[in-house]
Amino acid sequence: MLREEELKTFVDGTTRYFEVAAQQPATIGSPYLLEGEPAIQDYTGLISISGKREGVVYFTAPRAMLTVLLMKMQESDFSHESMRDLVGEVANTISGNARRDFGHDFVISVPSVFSGEKPQIPNPPGARAFVIPIHWRSHSAKLVVSLT
Amino acid sequence: MLLSDTDRNRRVLTAAAGTVLAVVMGLVLIIGFRLATQIRASVGNLQRASELQTYPELISQQLTALRQRLDTLEYTGHVHSELSASVSGFNSDLASLQRQTDLDSSALAGATVLWRNYTPVLAPVLAYAGEPYSDSATNSTLSRSGRAFYAHVRRAELFAAANSTALHDQLAAISTSLQAQTASAAARLRLLLSAGVLTVLLLGAAAAYLQLARARGERAAREAQEQTRDILATVREGFFLLDADYRIGAVWSQALSQIFGRNDFAGLAFEELLRDKVSSETLATATKFIKLLWGERAHENLMKSINPLGQLEVSVDNGRNGKETRFLQFDFHRVMGPKGVKHVLCSVGDITSSVLLSRELQEAQESAHSQLDMMVSMLHSDPLQISAFLETAAAGLKHINAILKEPARNHGEFSKKLAGLARELHAMKGESSALNLMSIAQRAHQLEDMVGELTGNTDLSGKDFLPLVLKLDELLAHLNGVREMTLRLTALKENSPTAQSSALAPRASGPAELATTLQTLAHKLSAEHHKAFALTLHGLEDCPPQYLSTVKDCLIQMLRNAAVHGIETDEVRRAGAKTEAGQVRAEFRRVESGFELLFEDDGAGLSPESLKEAAVRKSILTAQQAAALDNRSALALIFKPGFSTRTEVTMDAGRGTGMDVVAKAVYGLGGKIGVSTNPGRFTRFKIALPAVSESAVA
Repeated sequence: MLREEELKTFVDGTTRYFEVAAQQPATIGSPYLLEGEPAIQDYTGLISISGKREGVVYFTAPRAMLTVLLMKMQESDFSHESMRDLVGEVANTISGNARRDFGHDFVISVPSVFSGEKPQIPNPPGARAFVIPIHWRSHSAKLVVSLT
Repeated sequence: MLLSDTDRNRRVLTAAAGTVLAVVMGLVLIIGFRLATQIRASVGNLQRASELQTYPELISQQLTALRQRLDTLEYTGHVHSELSASVSGFNSDLASLQRQTDLDSSALAGATVLWRNYTPVLAPVLAYAGEPYSDSATNSTLSRSGRAFYAHVRRAELFAAANSTALHDQLAAISTSLQAQTASAAARLRLLLSAGVLTVLLLGAAAAYLQLARARGERAAREAQEQTRDILATVREGFFLLDADYRIGAVWSQALSQIFGRNDFAGLAFEELLRDKVSSETLATATKFIKLLWGERAHENLMKSINPLGQLEVSVDNGRNGKETRFLQFDFHRVMGPKGVKHVLCSVGDITSSVLLSRELQEAQESAHSQLDMMVSMLHSDPLQISAFLETAAAGLKHINAILKEPARNHGEFSKKLAGLARELHAMKGESSALNLMSIAQRAHQLEDMVGELTGNTDLSGKDFLPLVLKLDELLAHLNGVREMTLRLTALKENSPTAQSSALAPRASGPAELATTLQTLAHKLSAEHHKAFALTLHGLEDCPPQYLSTVKDCLIQMLRNAAVHGIETDEVRRAGAKTEAGQVRAEFRRVESGFELLFEDDGAGLSPESLKEAAVRKSILTAQQAAALDNRSALALIFKPGFSTRTEVTMDAGRGTGMDVVAKAVYGLGGKIGVSTNPGRFTRFKIALPAVSESAVA
C-alpha cells in the first residue's frame, strides 16, 4: 500500500519544477482515485518504477499550459518537440526527487514522453492510480501515481 | 582502571630505583674520596718513613767519615755540612710523621725516644764551628778544639754504631704499619667500588626490568587502545559519554556519525544534538530527564522506565540531499566515580527496521484478527444481506470519489466537500456496524476522524486531502477483500448438502432481513453501552422495496441514537420508576398520503435547553441566537449537520453526522421528518413518505 510520504515525494517533485523553472509555484487540487481509462492530456512524461514498488508515475498536461510555461521560461520555440522536452523535464524532476528520498529502494527508468495519440500506459496488477490535479495559473495538469 | 594502577605502581618503583641509585652513587663517591685521601696520605707517610729508614745508617757513615778525616787531618767542612743536613732532614721528617694521628704510636714513640738520645750526642758535633787543625811549618796537628771535636765525633760515631740498627728497626716498623694501613685502605676502596658496581648493576637490572615492564605495559595500553578503537569503529550503536555539563566527551563510536550525519560531537551539548530533530516538547522532556540522571538518589532502573527517548522518531539527512524518518533508541547508564556520578554513558541504536517490522507485524495481526472477526460475522449473517451492503458501500465510495474529483482550488471549494464525505462515511459506518462488519466500520470511522480534523482547518488545500484519498484506497481494497470472502462463503454454503434447509442458506434480502439486522444491532448496542432495552418492530413487511434502503439507514441511525442518548442506565431508570428494560419501538404503516415510519423510545427524551447548550458549544449558534430559540426550533437542531450533544466521539455517536443524514435521505425521497418529546419520558420520530407512485425514486 502506497504511503503518504511516497505520494508527497512525487507531488513535491512536480510542484518544485514549476517553482524553479517558472518562478511561480503550482498548487495541487483535490486528489482522487482513477476510475476507468487513464486521464491523458496532450503531452505526457512517464517514469517506470521497480524495486520496492512497481508501477508508473506520469505527468500529463494540456498544450496551452505548456505553451504558457515555455513563455514564462523565456523560450521562443513552442514547437511540438519543445513541448515533449518540457514534459520530459518535469518527469525527470519527479524522478530526481524520488531518487533523493527513496535511494536504492526504487529503481527508476529514464522518462518516456507521449503526445497526441493515446499512449499505452502499463497499469501494474493490483495497483490503483491516484490522480492529483496540478493547478498552475489558470491551467490544470495531472500527476498520476500508480504503484503497488 | 587496572592498567592505570599498574602503571602508577611501575612509576613509583622507577622513581624509587632512581633515588636509591643516586644515594648509593653519592655514598660510594664520598666514601671513595675519603679512602683515596687516606691512601694518598698513607703513601706520603710511607715515603717519609722509607726516607727516615736511610738516615741512621747515613748519619753513622757521615760520623765515621768525619772521624776518618780528622784522623788524616783532611778538610771536614763539607762532611760536617752533610751531617747537619741529614740530622735536619731526619728531624723534619720525624716531626711530619708525628703530626699523623693514625700512625702506629708504639713504633713512632720508640723511634722518637731513640732519636731523642741521639740529640745530646750529636749536638756538640753539629755545634762545632771552629778550626780543628793547627798548622806549623812542618806539619799540622789537631788543635785544642779539634781534639775536643774529635772526641765528640768519636763518641757520636760509637753511639750511632750502637743505636742505628735499633733506630732503623723502629723506623722499619713504622713503614710496615704504614704499608698495612695503605693496603687496608686500598682493600676498603676496592670493596667499596665492588659494592658500588654491584649496586649499580642491580639497580641497572631493576631499571631494565621496569623499563621492560613499562614497554610491555605501553604495548598492552596501545593494544587496548587499538581494541577500543576497533570496537568503537565496528559497533552498530552510537556510544558517547556525557559530562556534568551535559556535553559529549572526546570519544564516540563511528556509528554515531552515521546515525546523525555529522562528526563534530566533541563538546557538543546533548540538547544541540537533538535540536531540529525532535519537537520542542520532547527536547525539553529529554533535557529534564538527563538532568535527573545526575541525581545521586535517582534509581537507574526506575529512570529507564520513564526514558522519553526509548523510541524516538527523528528526521535525518538521507545522504542524497533528502530527509528520511528514522527511529532511534537512547539508553543511559551512569558511570560512578568515587565522588558520585562521573559520566553518563549514552547508547543510541537505530531501531528503524525493528520498529517498522513490529508495525507490519501488528498490522498483519490486526488484519488477521479483523479477517477472522469478519469471517465470524459473515457466518452469522445472510450473505445476500452482506452482498447488498457491499454494493451500497461500493456505490458510497464511488460517490465519495466523485465528491473528491470535483474541481477545487480554494478553501471554500475544498471545505464544501467535507460535509458530503462525512455523510457518506457515516452511513457506511452505521450499516457495517449493524451487520457487525467491524473492520469496515472501524475504517469508515477512521476516515470520519480524518474528515473531522480537516473540518477545523481554516486553510484547506489539496495536500490535506492526500491522506484521505490513501485511506479511501485502503477501504476500497478492504471492501474488495470482503467481497471476495463473501463470494467464497456463498459458494461454500451453496455446495453444502443441507443448504436448502439450513439457517445459513441464502435468503432474499428484504424486510425480514432488515428486522434481523436491526435486532442484531440492538443486542450489540445494548451490550456495548450496558443498557438493557428491547426493540419491537411492526409492519416492516409493508415497506416497499424502493424505500427499504432509506428506511434501513434511518432505523439504524435512530436505533443508535436511542441506545446512546435515549435509553438511560439501569440506575437512572430505577430512580425514575421506569421498567428496568427500556422499550424501543419502530412501526411502518400505510397511511392515506403514502407511508409513515414511527420510531420511539421511552428514554430520557430531548431537553431543548441541553440542545441549545450543545449548539452553542459546537458553534452552530451564538448564545444570543440560542436564547431566542423556541422549543420547537431547538428540537429541530438535531437535524443540523455537525450537531451532537456528546462531547467525545465514539463509534456510535458524537460526530454530529447522524440525524442530518436521516433527514437528507427522507427529504431526498420527498418525505418529511418530525420529532416530539417529553423530557424524562420519551422521544418520538415521525417520518412521512409519499406513496410509491408519487415518489421520485426509481
